[in-house]
Amino acid sequence: MESKESAIIPAIEPYVEDSSRRNFLKQSSLLTAVALTPEIAVKAAGLHLHEEIAAVFEKMPLKMEVNGKSRMLSVEPRATLLDILREQLELTGTKKGCDHGQCGACTVHVDGRRVNSCLTLGVMMNGKKITTIEGLAHGDQLHPMQEAFIKHDGFQCGYCTPGQIMSAVACIREGHAGSEHEIREYMSGNICRCGAYPNIVNAIQEVKNGGQEV
Amino acid sequence: MKQFQYVQPATRQAVLEAINKPGTKIIAGGTNLVDLMKRGVTAPDKLVDINHLPLKNITVTPLGLYIGALALNSVVSENKQVIEKQPLLAMALKSGASPQLRNMATVGGNMMQRTRCGYFYDTAMPCNKRVPGSGCGAYEGVNRMHAIFGASSQCIAVHPSDMCVALAALDAVVIIAGKKGEHRVPFTEFHRLPGDHPEADNNLAPGELITGVEIPDNNLAKNSYYLKVRDRQSYAFALISVAAALDIKNGIIQNARLAMGGVAHKPWRLFDAEKALVGKKASEENFQQIAQLAMQGAKAYGYNSFKLKLAPASITEALKHAAGLV
Amino acid sequence: MEKAINMNRPSSSDGMSRIDGRLKVTGAAKYSAEYAVEGLTYGVLAGSTIAKGTITALDTKAAERAPGVLAVVTYLNAPKVPGFQPDQKGIRAQLKVFNDNKIFYNGQPIALVIADTYERALYGASLVKATYNKEEHQTSLTDNFGKGFPPRGDGLYKRGTEDAWKSAPIKLEQEYIVPTNTHNPMELHAIIARWDADDKITVWDKTQGVKATQHDISQLFKLPLENVQVNSRFVGGAFGSALRTWPHEIVAILGAKAVKKPVKLVLSRADMFTSVGYRPHTWQKVGIGATADGKLTGITHQAYGQTSPYENFTEGAVNVSQSMYACPNVNTKYNLVALNVGTPTWMRGPGEATGSFALESALDELSYALNIDPIEIRIRNYAETDPENGKPFSSKHLKEAYQLGADSIGWSNRKQQPASVKKDGWFVGYGIGCGMFGAYRSGAVIKATLKADGTLHLQSAVSDIGPGTGTAMVLIAAEQLGIPADKISFENGASDLPQAPTQGGSATTASVGSAVYKACADLKTEFQKLTGNNTNDKPDYAQILKQHNLPSVEVTSKSDGGEGRDKYSMNSWSVHFVKVLVNALTGVVKIDKVTSVADCGTIISPKTARSQIVGGAIGGIGMALMEEAIIDHRYGRYINNNYADYHVPVNADIPQIDALFVNKPDPILNPMGSKGMAEIALVGMAAAVANAVYNATGKRVRELPITPDKVIG
Repeated sequence: MESKESAIIPAIEPYVEDSSRRNFLKQSSLLTAVALTPEIAVKAAGLHLHEEIAAVFEKMPLKMEVNGKSRMLSVEPRATLLDILREQLELTGTKKGCDHGQCGACTVHVDGRRVNSCLTLGVMMNGKKITTIEGLAHGDQLHPMQEAFIKHDGFQCGYCTPGQIMSAVACIREGHAGSEHEIREYMSGNICRCGAYPNIVNAIQEVKNGGQEV
Repeated sequence: MKQFQYVQPATRQAVLEAINKPGTKIIAGGTNLVDLMKRGVTAPDKLVDINHLPLKNITVTPLGLYIGALALNSVVSENKQVIEKQPLLAMALKSGASPQLRNMATVGGNMMQRTRCGYFYDTAMPCNKRVPGSGCGAYEGVNRMHAIFGASSQCIAVHPSDMCVALAALDAVVIIAGKKGEHRVPFTEFHRLPGDHPEADNNLAPGELITGVEIPDNNLAKNSYYLKVRDRQSYAFALISVAAALDIKNGIIQNARLAMGGVAHKPWRLFDAEKALVGKKASEENFQQIAQLAMQGAKAYGYNSFKLKLAPASITEALKHAAGLV
Repeated sequence: MEKAINMNRPSSSDGMSRIDGRLKVTGAAKYSAEYAVEGLTYGVLAGSTIAKGTITALDTKAAERAPGVLAVVTYLNAPKVPGFQPDQKGIRAQLKVFNDNKIFYNGQPIALVIADTYERALYGASLVKATYNKEEHQTSLTDNFGKGFPPRGDGLYKRGTEDAWKSAPIKLEQEYIVPTNTHNPMELHAIIARWDADDKITVWDKTQGVKATQHDISQLFKLPLENVQVNSRFVGGAFGSALRTWPHEIVAILGAKAVKKPVKLVLSRADMFTSVGYRPHTWQKVGIGATADGKLTGITHQAYGQTSPYENFTEGAVNVSQSMYACPNVNTKYNLVALNVGTPTWMRGPGEATGSFALESALDELSYALNIDPIEIRIRNYAETDPENGKPFSSKHLKEAYQLGADSIGWSNRKQQPASVKKDGWFVGYGIGCGMFGAYRSGAVIKATLKADGTLHLQSAVSDIGPGTGTAMVLIAAEQLGIPADKISFENGASDLPQAPTQGGSATTASVGSAVYKACADLKTEFQKLTGNNTNDKPDYAQILKQHNLPSVEVTSKSDGGEGRDKYSMNSWSVHFVKVLVNALTGVVKIDKVTSVADCGTIISPKTARSQIVGGAIGGIGMALMEEAIIDHRYGRYINNNYADYHVPVNADIPQIDALFVNKPDPILNPMGSKGMAEIALVGMAAAVANAVYNATGKRVRELPITPDKVIG
């Protein structure tokens, strides 16, 4: 189990598909399970019920690069990228606003594309490069978009801000910051309940017109 | 969310084998499925991730344009060939969801997305689509977003897609892989009306996989428009949407395609209205008349009675845009 | 050389940037759910699926057996909340969560499932099954007027003759409806609760008032006040939803007691509709009458607002009609209707936002009936003193605000005849709506430490839910002491910091700012004592400290609630101008241009003040065009309790917004000359939009929100 957890699983290599194993475990006696499974399952088996053993098997290895750093994790398939970032990696800059893809507070970049991390299963991120708000600045030097958000007051409470900034950077990179109208449309996947929209548009235009590298 | 098994079979064949079991669901972008799983609306035992299958291509074919089932909505909407040959599709895609969601959602997944009916989403409410036989909460309930065409007493939900409205209008064909190989289904016959089995959104058989769509070439690119009427300017589902595409020569309509979203359990193609447009002068008066024709058989359920007025108004507005009258 | 800021019309980049901006743009700002407390466990709520009745059986076995689940806490096994016991006096009415089997509203918490991970807790919560004895519920306001009751006294107000509008030459009576609006701040309400000892607790909690939350927890759990530590350093918006202690906060504390571990509980977006208040659905009727030359002769304003079965929530929905215009005869009536819903709470512009939609719409209707320009009718009925009590206003420059706003929006382009301007298939129209809100101030304490390195550290318990409180406080101190703003820091949002009021009612700057002002004066006195020199108002503090070999000078200064309330009526004022485009066929309304003008005293921080006005205007646009939480009354359950179906404005809905300030000091309320601005930024906007839609189309929409169906209906 140890070695499997740390193994790099290429995106295309199929995971072991063995639903019979779980069913078997559910039905079989604890002893049989112990005989069949390696150390980590034995530990779990000693403590609790069959479901627990099944749960151990259901954790999967996940290797992804987050903000330039390789991360090796063991996650349940149902864990979203958002919850993994916030609860396992303590990267709480990525926010949970709705948990259903309806607000954009959880926006991160996956292989350069902005996505809602709340609707992204962690296990599907194997081998991917994730950038969160914590990975945008170069050390102490803020990203131009972060500077522009401060300058134009592109926020009040700050909760939607990381998602707005990740979206704003993508908006320019995608070539969707050509006009005020286009920026508004392409920033509409990020709700700001405080109502900083005009300031956000001003910040994006400043970065766009400034011609800085984003 | 219930625990489930996650697998990523290497080949199309392996995928087809894996999905041919009850309790199994395909995941591509996951924008709708993960949401439904979070709410307990669906609880698969196993997810089959198909993202690594080579189904992302957009290519020109002898018939027209092929778009792979795994092509991202954002990529399709920005694709040069799509914008040039089928601008209606690009417009429809850009009016859907948000930039982030379009970066995740695939063409196949968009077709497979389920209704946004509030009763379907809330497991404490009755819904025949979610639990057959439990009743339709919307029928006598809050049905402002609901169908005015082709509904049944079992279900008055609407299909939420914008992309599908355009594809239905454009005579697209769905390419489906199954155990017996590939077959093709006209897009307008892919989704179904609820009838007595609202639990089935479409005619995709168990164990089948959408691999792509093909759109035949046409002369409609110059006069195409996708109108989406909604409660806010972006990031909202349609109250009514209209896909309108015309071939106009010397002010006279030679050929027309018209479909509506937000009105039925499937993208609602308006064949009769299309026929009636042919030979007519592209004018607001004619459009208004034809919009009324398109409303034959419409039925409202209370909160959505405004759609009986909004739908023809939207058809007129969309046709005006398509014809360049606005 | 920096360009001078136009304080009447600052731009988004004018003025000092927020002191916490860097933390917010880097993701380093930590909100309540984001503290990595050791041994943390996760709680998820299960809610009731009926609106009224009792729980007859609770099956928690499956949840308890689910992997990772540590406990399922319900009314059957929850530790008792001492403050909920019947003999307790002085505890406010509230939902006694997990105290018994009674269900008052759909979605009421019935179980807290605690597990080692969030995923496992969430799954566990889905396994809790309740059986109910269902009783007939009522959730429809308009079906239950017969059960209306006055919140206190008789709920009546009268000056002059009752219903005088009825005998006016020009008159009208109309009904106006504001549906339930939810605050829906971006940050979900969240709490981490950790018992440090049997009688000692620490919470990281989303609250607008750490001191109030500390007090509530101390009272409910009978803990010494100092044993309750409440932290709320960053608050991801609230708009009123975190003004009080809610059931989930109690539940998390109970859960942490049950598992003897810290518990984190984050509400779902659906919970945000049922469990943390909302602007109550309110039906209003306004009768208004005037002489032929447009002088108001009478206003009758009545309202029915909804509340919960266990608590009477009241707001001043009809009060705006008592003070906004000079009118000799005014009578109002306010009734509550208790329904099977959670308790409402104050939401941005509470009372006035609802009432002004009715009054400002009715006045607009009257202006058309009189064929008088809507600005002109307001000027003809301008109240120079408060008609409700005869007191002079501490400051009121609303006429100047009308002028500033009219010029900015291009009011001269407006046509008096509705539906007379159409361009490219869109009707064009202009509307105006005014707002007022009491200007308040309460006591606050600031601890200020001036160090030998020349830095100043300010401390206050106050929350900052987004307006930029810290930024304003730093600017006040910088101005008073002559210390550069970048050498001043502000620490806030913890109950062990000096006393501050709950952040609400647009009163924070007036209250805490006055304490900062006082602390600065006290510091100056200390330095004058040191130097014996009282001629230099802003000396080199660091130099003086070094000379005296002192590491720092510290003062703790208290400011009280201010004086003059007995002599003056104190209010902030606003006027909103809107230009709309309305599609002639589909009824879609687009906001083309907005100008909001605030008469809120001296502007302390132009950048954040501008954002407050812009944000309030956008909140008002949401209220006007799209916000409505809808209950299916058959089930008594919300049908659109999510961010996809409950629409709030997105970026595409909002044009550039002109935020203008009269920027004249209020000489009474506080030494800075400021008045509050958070509420007036929203109050009046909904009517401005509705009035613009009428001017554009001739269609008067009296029930919010103004969705396309209502425009074409």
